[in-house]
Amino acid sequence: MSQRYQMTRAAELESLSVFRDFISDCCGRHNIPKETVFELKLAVDEACTNVIEHGYKGMDPGSIILSFRIEPDRILVSITDFGHIFEPAEAPKPDVEAALEDRPLGGLGLYLIYQTMDNIDYESSEEGNTLTFTKFIK
Amino acid sequence: MFKRLRVNTKPKKIGPDIDEISISQLIGDASLPVTIKALNSLPENAKLRLYRALIPVQVLAEFDINPRTWKNPDKQQQVSLDAEQGSDKVKIHAWYGDDPQNEFFYLELADNQYNGIDLNFLIANNPTAEKFRTDYDDEGKETLFGTVRRNVIEEEKAMRAGLAPGQIRAGLRSSQVVFNHIETFLTMMAHHAFFLEPLTYVSAWIFEKRGFAYSKGHQLMDTIHKEFQPGGELHKALDGSTPFRQPEQWKTVRGRAWAIHDGLLEAIDKKWNDLKMIKQVGRHAGVKTFPDAEY
Repeated sequence: MSQRYQMTRAAELESLSVFRDFISDCCGRHNIPKETVFELKLAVDEACTNVIEHGYKGMDPGSIILSFRIEPDRILVSITDFGHIFEPAEAPKPDVEAALEDRPLGGLGLYLIYQTMDNIDYESSEEGNTLTFTKFIK
Repeated sequence: MFKRLRVNTKPKKIGPDIDEISISQLIGDASLPVTIKALNSLPENAKLRLYRALIPVQVLAEFDINPRTWKNPDKQQQVSLDAEQGSDKVKIHAWYGDDPQNEFFYLELADNQYNGIDLNFLIANNPTAEKFRTDYDDEGKETLFGTVRRNVIEEEKAMRAGLAPGQIRAGLRSSQVVFNHIETFLTMMAHHAFFLEPLTYVSAWIFEKRGFAYSKGHQLMDTIHKEFQPGGELHKALDGSTPFRQPEQWKTVRGRAWAIHDGLLEAIDKKWNDLKMIKQVGRHAGVKTFPDAEY
């Protein structure tokens, strides 16, 4: 039996902390391990920051819909926005081996999501862009 | 037998032009969206059967209009369908009594440039309610819902009667059922979502309640709510300088809407334009930019 949760907020930086609290609250109801909650917050934070900074760039920001489905062995998270289409495969790969002073600011978002989540999927159209990721509960 | 059966040697073409997007779309892959333009290329009766689903039977029943024939008990036509071949729009217009100008329902859907559907207009008024001439100025020119001109005297009367900006009569309170019908219709046509631009703050608030999210303007709505709080710039701008800027108006959706209609957003260097909302079929976005709002 899965449980669903959803929250919609404007694509603005102030919404990030609201999303983080929402994740804590949802996971708290299901006794999700703290490490998993931390990784989920990190992944959602990075994905939403990407939407805020790039997805709605040049336009009055619209909404971000964050939804959660908690199943006994996994958590499925989807983040929907209606901004510019983003193609994750085209994003430049960060050089995590480079010296700190040589690395550009940012650009680690997708890398962190890939590192922390177990499965990632992205669908995009003018009717909404949805990034979905799965985290297995250990 | 078959006395009245005649064979027309020059039958009228009833099917779509071969070069039109045709009925083959309808019988093809059911997961591919069908455009309004494709539907409009269908024969008249086929169009009527499909588009009839857009106007809720409950709304027609209120005015004793047969949902199948679109006629009243006196056999007068009360609903018209405008879905010309070649057009990418469909318009449904329903009126009460003899005068088609006495409109109580108007719906306009159109294809957009992204293969999606825009809801251009939705009007659902109570035709028996008092009418306010907010749609024409004192020189008899159309105000286009108060967007290009205003009839301030009529608007003030309308506001005091409990109407929202852009309304000429009280509403039918049927938006929930109308949206359910639109959504069902668009699901039949395999669309995933539809778009609209809220004309007023009241409209945006209603569409939020009906499950819409914003593709543009969510942040503006948040800013408006924040600035209407005591101490905010919009709150301060409710200075009583016009009938539409009274100090208590920040408390209600309608009060805010009239103040915004009166140009209050200048106080925060913003305009009510370029907002766009989207309803994903089957999904309620749960947006609430004015929590615990009083209408």
